[in-house]
Amino acid sequence: MQHFRLKALAVAATALTTLATSAMAQDKPESLDIGVFTFLSGPAAAYGMPGRQGAEIMIEQINADGGIGGVPVSATFVDEAQGAEGVISEYRRLAEGEADFMIAALSSGNCLALAPIADQLQMPTVGWNCDTHQLFKESHDYFYRPNGNTIAEFMAYTLYFLDENPDVKRVAIINPDYSFGHDAAEIVKATLKAVKPETEVVAELFPKLGSSSYQTEISRLAAARPDVIFSNLWGGDLENFIRQAQPRGIFAQSKTVLALGETVLQRSNLPEGVIVGVLGDGWWRSPDAEQIGQAGEFAATYNAKFGEDPVFPAVKMANAFLVMKAAYEKALETTGGTWPTHEQVAGALEGLSIETLTGEMSFREDNDGIVDQIVGTTTMVEGIDYPVLGNMVRYDGAALLPPLGEDPLGWIGTLSPSIFDELPDPGSYK
Amino acid sequence: MLQTIIPLLVDALANAALIFFVAVGLTLVFSVLRILNVAHGSLYSIGAYVAASVGLWIVAAGLPEWLTFPALLLSAAFVALLFGPLIEKTLVRWTYDKSEAVQVLVTFGLFLILEDLQRMVFGVQSVYQDTPMSLLGISQIGGIVYLNYQLLLIALAIVVLIALKVFIAYSRTGKLLAAVVADREVSQAMGIDTGKMFVIAFTIGVFLAALGGALATPTSGVSPGLGAETMVLAFAVAAVGGLGQVEGAALASIIVAMAKVLAIYFAPALDAVAPYLVMLVVLIVRPYGLFGSGATRRI
Repeated sequence: MQHFRLKALAVAATALTTLATSAMAQDKPESLDIGVFTFLSGPAAAYGMPGRQGAEIMIEQINADGGIGGVPVSATFVDEAQGAEGVISEYRRLAEGEADFMIAALSSGNCLALAPIADQLQMPTVGWNCDTHQLFKESHDYFYRPNGNTIAEFMAYTLYFLDENPDVKRVAIINPDYSFGHDAAEIVKATLKAVKPETEVVAELFPKLGSSSYQTEISRLAAARPDVIFSNLWGGDLENFIRQAQPRGIFAQSKTVLALGETVLQRSNLPEGVIVGVLGDGWWRSPDAEQIGQAGEFAATYNAKFGEDPVFPAVKMANAFLVMKAAYEKALETTGGTWPTHEQVAGALEGLSIETLTGEMSFREDNDGIVDQIVGTTTMVEGIDYPVLGNMVRYDGAALLPPLGEDPLGWIGTLSPSIFDELPDPGSYK
Repeated sequence: MLQTIIPLLVDALANAALIFFVAVGLTLVFSVLRILNVAHGSLYSIGAYVAASVGLWIVAAGLPEWLTFPALLLSAAFVALLFGPLIEKTLVRWTYDKSEAVQVLVTFGLFLILEDLQRMVFGVQSVYQDTPMSLLGISQIGGIVYLNYQLLLIALAIVVLIALKVFIAYSRTGKLLAAVVADREVSQAMGIDTGKMFVIAFTIGVFLAALGGALATPTSGVSPGLGAETMVLAFAVAAVGGLGQVEGAALASIIVAMAKVLAIYFAPALDAVAPYLVMLVVLIVRPYGLFGSGATRRI
């Protein structure tokens, strides 16, 4: 009898504990704690800091509107400049502590390292900026990327400059010496081979990430006399390259494509006629952004706080926050208002489709995002004291992505010059 | 053919000039103090930050832009006078009777402190100040546009090399330094104030590092991490030329720069490793560097 009573007591205690735990899981937390990973120091901070600033604006805005499901958002910022090992350890520390959601990361290398850890720790995570097409080679349940990938991005640039300069014969490439730079070079070359096979790559340079001087590379580019120079240098490296290349006449000698050029339009004296883009659709001045209407308000708040207009990393970060907010709201709807678990939030991200500040974003089955690609050419317009994108095109994001499960470079190889017939022309996006 | 060789030479010499300022300072400090100063690269980047900041201030204040030229030199002198005696009389002097491992660890610790100090004072964003470059304009050599400022750097490196040789050979302080290098104990016994010589040599070394940084600013951005990048290259140059050899540093700067330039032109994949491949080959053939020797010590 005594034994039976003890057993009943133990069962009751277990039931009570389970109920209590379950109730705690459903209680709204005091704050929604998120980890935000970006570069806050070093040459890459020129690109990473606008991301942080965009996050700050979004947090203020979300909290001013009453938070997400009534819960205010609170962020811990992590500097990716400390290297992958430090980033992983910070991610683990936050995930095993108070964090509910991660917006990580800027660097493709860090996203590749964090995606399996997100699955392991069951931490819903959105890669706010990383764009390597290698990311979803293996499937991930907790990692999502609300951007296009390198395939769509660099195909877009190549198709734009070929459409604009059909007589191109000699192409030079100068990209940073790591996966982002090398992947982009492969995509550009594969696209050229498929749609303009007679072009020749006359110089392929990969300066070290964070190089302070590009003078020899500039001499090499000048000596190669290419019709087009393609580059996906970024952050401080891009600013450095522009400042060193411009006085030496590089932009006058060759048509230049600066894939991440929009980020430096306010800081460097880039001439008109340079092809630039935003790695997706994240340009707050685009016709779609103007039509949606919230990007202008975001830009005004950003400018008032930081003294300059937002560049596309800030907009990408803002869009990542909108994705997080939408996922929580969808999960809350599913749970009938009780606070969702990490699993439920990750589940809500699956197949999510939202309107961002700058266009539509939807997740494919592999968790990769589909966003349009905007490319344009620098031009001065009245009322703005720095060059902006003109002669724009907006390519449908889905049209530049290989079908699920297909080898991306192999898919590019199947394209033919007739692709131009199916795509909008430069200047058509107004 | 000439069209290809001339740009190669100009690029190599322009690169060599900047490396030379840092490497010769490192080698001078080593020859007199017998210390490998790992923090030397940080003094290069501090020189760069100070010169860029002063230049930006001159432009912002509306002062004549030509003042940015003397500002480069004065910034280096300021950094040398501030940091040279301070570091030598505190940290470095304490390590003279310690093992080489302790000396390297202490200067490495100093390097880390100075790198953080730069982040605190100058922030983490890149700084640019290219007024001196803009003022000098451009030239066409071998069909390629070069900055006249790059050509000025080559001339300045030659001037510094000659000035150093003249200073060591003909000035009283230079001769005393040479005596300390030849035999520290005998110099002391002859009444030479070796402590004072150490401060002078270290301060000249800091000046040369800071001058390299200051002169680099008009053609490159300054950001955290610049010190480490420069330091590694300066070590390669010092090792190729032979530690403690001024002429060795000059020749090695040209060899290392030429290796890098050739790699960028003909084998870009080897760009980052080319200087160290050269270092490896030289050290296999001549373990003390091109001008170095295990037995004799000279500057």
